[in-house]
Amino acid sequence: MPMPEYLNTAQPGMSDETFRLLRDFIYEHSGIFFSDNKKSQLENRLSLRLKVNNLPDFDKYYYLLKYDPQASRELRALFDSVTTNETSFFRSPPQIQAFQEKALPEILGKRAAQGEKVLRIWSAGCSTGDEPYTLGMVVWEVLGEKMPEWDVKIFASDISEKALKSARAAVYNDYTLRSVPPDIKKKYFIQEGPQFRVCDDIRMLVELQYLNFNDEKRVKLMRGFDIIFCRNVLIYFDDAAKKRFVSQLYDNLNPGGYLFIGHSESLHNISRAFKLVHFPGALGYKKE
Amino acid sequence: MDRLILQTVKHLEDLPTLPSVAVEVMSLSRSPDVSIKTISECIHKDPPLAAKVLKLANSAFYRRGAHEIETLHRAILLMGLNEVVNITTSVSVLSSLGSRKSQEQNIRKKFWQHCIATGLIARRIDTRLHMSLQGREFVGGLLHDIGKIILDEYFHDQFMQAHALSIERQCSMFEAEQEILGTTHMEIGHFLAQKWGLPPYIADIILNHHHPRDARFKDITSVVSIANLLAKASELSCGGDSMSFVLKDQQGWQILKKMGHPMDSIDLERFSFEIGDIGEEVKEYITTVSDQEDRERAYA
Repeated sequence: MPMPEYLNTAQPGMSDETFRLLRDFIYEHSGIFFSDNKKSQLENRLSLRLKVNNLPDFDKYYYLLKYDPQASRELRALFDSVTTNETSFFRSPPQIQAFQEKALPEILGKRAAQGEKVLRIWSAGCSTGDEPYTLGMVVWEVLGEKMPEWDVKIFASDISEKALKSARAAVYNDYTLRSVPPDIKKKYFIQEGPQFRVCDDIRMLVELQYLNFNDEKRVKLMRGFDIIFCRNVLIYFDDAAKKRFVSQLYDNLNPGGYLFIGHSESLHNISRAFKLVHFPGALGYKKE
Repeated sequence: MDRLILQTVKHLEDLPTLPSVAVEVMSLSRSPDVSIKTISECIHKDPPLAAKVLKLANSAFYRRGAHEIETLHRAILLMGLNEVVNITTSVSVLSSLGSRKSQEQNIRKKFWQHCIATGLIARRIDTRLHMSLQGREFVGGLLHDIGKIILDEYFHDQFMQAHALSIERQCSMFEAEQEILGTTHMEIGHFLAQKWGLPPYIADIILNHHHPRDARFKDITSVVSIANLLAKASELSCGGDSMSFVLKDQQGWQILKKMGHPMDSIDLERFSFEIGDIGEEVKEYITTVSDQEDRERAYA
């Protein structure tokens, strides 16, 4: 369908062919996939890069990425613009659902059968805390009355002290809570004027800490996890570093544990150690 | 319960029938020296059917080249006899089953979405693996679950019970059916396929899409079995059975691998992301094959 004139502002639109070239390029270099219905999203995100580089159209931009000696610098900026840095509670619902309905019950069942009611989760790259608190709420929902019988800990790490500071405060605005089901919102948040604070029961499950993923010694110490969420983090690594880090994450997991990465991120070409698991609307990686 | 329901179905007198022209086309196409003229004349005996076949041949799914295909004769020349027979089969089965009333319209709508998605994904697998299944994989995917229509139509309450059981237990629909109805949608569908004289490969897919190891047409049944799972994973599921699975551990995957297909060369993540988009294509297909009237019914 042709774009209406009034939407067609500074640059000419992205042709389907250029979209595919850019999509393939981004996938190859970052593992993040833009499916056909995300074309306009990609177009929006990249139009700023066009302006910054003073380029007339997306073809020229593709050419710059592919052939310009300065491309590596631009690549970093490109990745920043294609990942939504924004985080929110219950982000990517099918993934949270896969965690809630499949991965978590499976692991809890196995643990209970072993008579060892311990659950360890790592939210790697937790930003302002939305993810680890979400996971805490889900665990609480799944365990219900059995919660006191279990030793549950959610480690949440980030490299940004600023983000960690907000995570510690655990106070959020309405927009960050937009995907939270109403009953969950009522149960686990305390309204304070226009804002919402995560209740203490959930906060006590989460242990926030500073961690730089390049600090291999410390990353190695993160052991014994049943589930790791590491969403939209890998994009910041080059291929070799990505391979090293993912193989480290594999070691950080218990056998039978799951790794979840961003909903359109891929480990293809990065690791063959995991088994790719299809959940309804989401993918996960299992260590056997 | 024993095999009672399968026996009952076998003696039902008001089972849906296929348009006679479709039956004739399928049987003609099996003879090795059938001419283009014979087939196109045969389809023309049923003008609404002929019109639908042409409409589909000109849709985004099949159209090759820039010019509109105006006659069946030309369609066969351009697309090949097999593809035109495939389209005729799909259109006929859809018109026999597609617009039948269900007490649960929403489930019926989801049912067809799932079947079309399975067909489309099967087609993508065929393309990805260069298998040249010539559209048979699409028809197979489209029709793999027709037994469910019969169960829903004639044994609605029990079928709904099976549906609820599969959700409650997180088990497959066919396991729940076996427990509640004493038969499965595969057995019922297989019976119908034979009664209608559908090609043997279709009957095989219908019977064995949950265990392709037992299939005679192993390659195509494996393709459909994988497509079926992927359609469910892309949330185009019609049963309660929204299970998680490791595709590489599935029978269908392993059979294709053993047959020498380059399964390990598939970027499964990317393939899965791509089929995440398939909903749009499904809608388009529904719009193309259904009459306005059918469509209103389907979305009522």
